[in-house]
Amino acid sequence: MFARMSDIDRMFGAMDLLRNKMDRLFGDFDRSFDYGSGLTFKTSVPGTNLYEDGDNFEIRAEVPGIAKDDLNIKIQGNYLEISGSRGADTPEGYKIHRAERGASTFSRSFTLPDDVDADKVEATLKDGILYLTLPKSEAAKPKQITIG
Amino acid sequence: MSEKKDIAKAEEKNIEKTRELKSAIPAVDIYENDNEIMLHADMPGVVKEDVSVSIDNGTLSLSGVRRLQSKGASKWEEFGDVEYVRSFSVPQSIDVEKVEAKLKDGVLKLHLPKSEAAKPKQIKINAA
Repeated sequence: MFARMSDIDRMFGAMDLLRNKMDRLFGDFDRSFDYGSGLTFKTSVPGTNLYEDGDNFEIRAEVPGIAKDDLNIKIQGNYLEISGSRGADTPEGYKIHRAERGASTFSRSFTLPDDVDADKVEATLKDGILYLTLPKSEAAKPKQITIG
Repeated sequence: MSEKKDIAKAEEKNIEKTRELKSAIPAVDIYENDNEIMLHADMPGVVKEDVSVSIDNGTLSLSGVRRLQSKGASKWEEFGDVEYVRSFSVPQSIDVEKVEAKLKDGVLKLHLPKSEAAKPKQIKINAA
């Protein structure tokens, strides 16, 4: 019985593969609607991740091809807003065959689980990903309690 | 105990590898002028070392693997490790030797120059 566990595992692995293939197929299909015309002004929001480790939050956002001057970050208490725009980088004198990336503006706001110290926030842009390190405000930091 | 050994053995016997990175299709722009074809692809978070571009038998294949450093507990995650894969057919007129690729701010930029023979030529009309 137990010897078959790995076979079951393999079967699920194969199903994962199939799901990947289907995802790609549907991705192609959706794309044909989303990016039909090269002239549409597409609005979309970048994907984000939020991590928490003790004293800090870290937000990561996918912002490929956006210069750091085109990004705006606003923080107030536990409210965070990231906005930005990507200009069309269509080169002069070229015919357009496919324009899926397009120019876009976006704005995304979050309510963080705790207040953050807005003065100590650090933002870096690397390889098209924005990394925001947000230290929690003193009141929100975890406290070590010693047992008396 | 003997059952446990069996599991390990079956795992080793698996030659095929079924678990792989989730793949995604990068959005691309393709431009063309008389001298070259240009391709821009969004691959946020991919570093230069993890990108591969190959042209084989008229097929251009792009692949970029993103490996993110995990940090702390995740509260929400909308993107993760992924392999960006996409392939295109390229015309024979592309000079494969001169293809250039650049990666900047998560955007892969490819220049595919056309070979001399494929560039448009202006034909002069001589008076008969």
